[in-house]
Amino acid sequence: MEKTKRRFNWKRELRMLPGYVVVLLYVAVMVIMLSWIVGASLSSTKEILTGKVLNFESGFHWENYITAWTTQNVSVFFGNSLLYSVVSCAGVLLIAAPSAYVLSRWHFTGSRLIRVALVIAMSVPAIMIIMPLYTLAVRWGIRGRILLIALYIFMRVPYTAIYMLDFFASLSHDYEEAAAIDGCSAGKAFWIIMLPLVQPAIITVTIFNFLSVWNEFFMALIFTSSKEMTPVGVGLLQIVNSMKYSGNYGGLFAAVIIVFLPTFLLYLVMSRRIISGVTAGGVKG
Amino acid sequence: MKKNKTLIFLFTAPTVICLLLMYVYPVLRTMVMSFFRVEDLTAGLDKWSFNGMDNYIKIFHNAGFITSLKNFLAIWIVGGVITLSLAMLMAVILTSGIRFQGFFRAAIYLPNVVSAVALATMWVQYIFNYDYGLLNQLVTLLGFDKIRWLGTDAKLWAMIAAYIYGSIGYYMLIYISGIEGIPAELYESATIDGASKSRQFFRITLPLLKGIIKTTITFWTINAATFYLWSKLFSPVQTEGATIVPVVYLYDTVFGGKGVVNRDAGAGAAVGVVLTLIIIAVYLVTERLLRSSDLEY
Repeated sequence: MEKTKRRFNWKRELRMLPGYVVVLLYVAVMVIMLSWIVGASLSSTKEILTGKVLNFESGFHWENYITAWTTQNVSVFFGNSLLYSVVSCAGVLLIAAPSAYVLSRWHFTGSRLIRVALVIAMSVPAIMIIMPLYTLAVRWGIRGRILLIALYIFMRVPYTAIYMLDFFASLSHDYEEAAAIDGCSAGKAFWIIMLPLVQPAIITVTIFNFLSVWNEFFMALIFTSSKEMTPVGVGLLQIVNSMKYSGNYGGLFAAVIIVFLPTFLLYLVMSRRIISGVTAGGVKG
Repeated sequence: MKKNKTLIFLFTAPTVICLLLMYVYPVLRTMVMSFFRVEDLTAGLDKWSFNGMDNYIKIFHNAGFITSLKNFLAIWIVGGVITLSLAMLMAVILTSGIRFQGFFRAAIYLPNVVSAVALATMWVQYIFNYDYGLLNQLVTLLGFDKIRWLGTDAKLWAMIAAYIYGSIGYYMLIYISGIEGIPAELYESATIDGASKSRQFFRITLPLLKGIIKTTITFWTINAATFYLWSKLFSPVQTEGATIVPVVYLYDTVFGGKGVVNRDAGAGAAVGVVLTLIIIAVYLVTERLLRSSDLEY
């Protein structure tokens, strides 16, 4: 993305007016939607239902956030999602990084097969795997948080390994040779020298893994059996479903904002990195 | 560099185990299961009985599944044409030297980053709400009667519209990276030769993006075939004909839901296989129709 620095030219800008209108229209919908939701999260249910959201006649109802966080269990969902995301991001690196390194360095029996399998695994739809996984989990007696964490780690291994493979391949062999001369074993050289060298790749891949696990919904819906282990996505669905009993619209919108914020804030800080990461690793024609 | 067999083994073993456990075994088992009568998902192999194509015959005679396929077609074709066209339009606009393009790119991609459940809830509870929703406020402002956006007739289209709005950004970024890969000299010489902007788009941009368009069609097909979350959020409590999609049907058949008397894991597996076959078929057809051009630049 280059910055286009140029003098303001009326004729030129006018020719692009239709373009501005299209993208501004898109952004306007988002701004209206988000400001209304924020407004609603600070309004009383009565104000919401009578369509007086952005007037704040009865002041700001910060208690909506307290209700959402405590009575509606958002604190539990939030803690779970944080746990799942952080632990899976670390776990997936421990599994995928070493294999990406080895695959980028040597050809060995089955190395091509593993590469191909990783690429195919990235596009296997969840519906083709969840049923046997469910059976296995029940059979082996694995449940609760540990089950979801394991599934999330395995879910992200193919993407992470493929993404890191290219980065390891671009590193010079000199590093390991120097390490070997100094008497450093190949395994040790990986953890101490090679892994820190691909730090930019680790950061990008971890952001995407975090986003993916934080926003995951389908497996969470199938594999969570109690409120205590529910992550934010499924938790929010439960809050929506209980609306007809609680009738607390202010609390609902506060919950929406709480679920929305973490990845939104991450995006505010990291948008440049995220946007260039979407098409990096090659969407090839 | 010397090959170190122990290192290779130790470093690849966890990934290989992941591939086998999470992908190879489950995919094979799902495929096999689609040819067996399996009521309870957790039942052992000894409780499976072979019944040939019966699961497939059963689902294609099920009204719920047929409705879900029709909804899938609406999402896939109508949603796909609109999403990919709008994404292309945005990509062209944002590579034409417009100001604040960095901001616009980030803003349009934003819905792909935030929780889709939160996003869908915003659409259902605000934009489409009958009493205080944005659309009905606009409709009243223009002097018309309020519309039931989430009534049976309009619901599918409301859902597709909301989904399109959130999806454009992803495909737009892919197109942008494609357009930025086209050498600027091509456009410069076309401009000198007097070719209009639209002519340049149809004669230069579009043909050179063939390969990328093919990729986005495949991605869209995967997303449309495995469409689930938005359907669940637009009909959260009970599955409805208006928004049922194949994966919702699969979920209800396997794990139980409204109107499901007997759970049937075998039929669920058959649904999964049918969807996968649709994805593969679309991939192969686009691969043939849009054979990467021999154009060089």
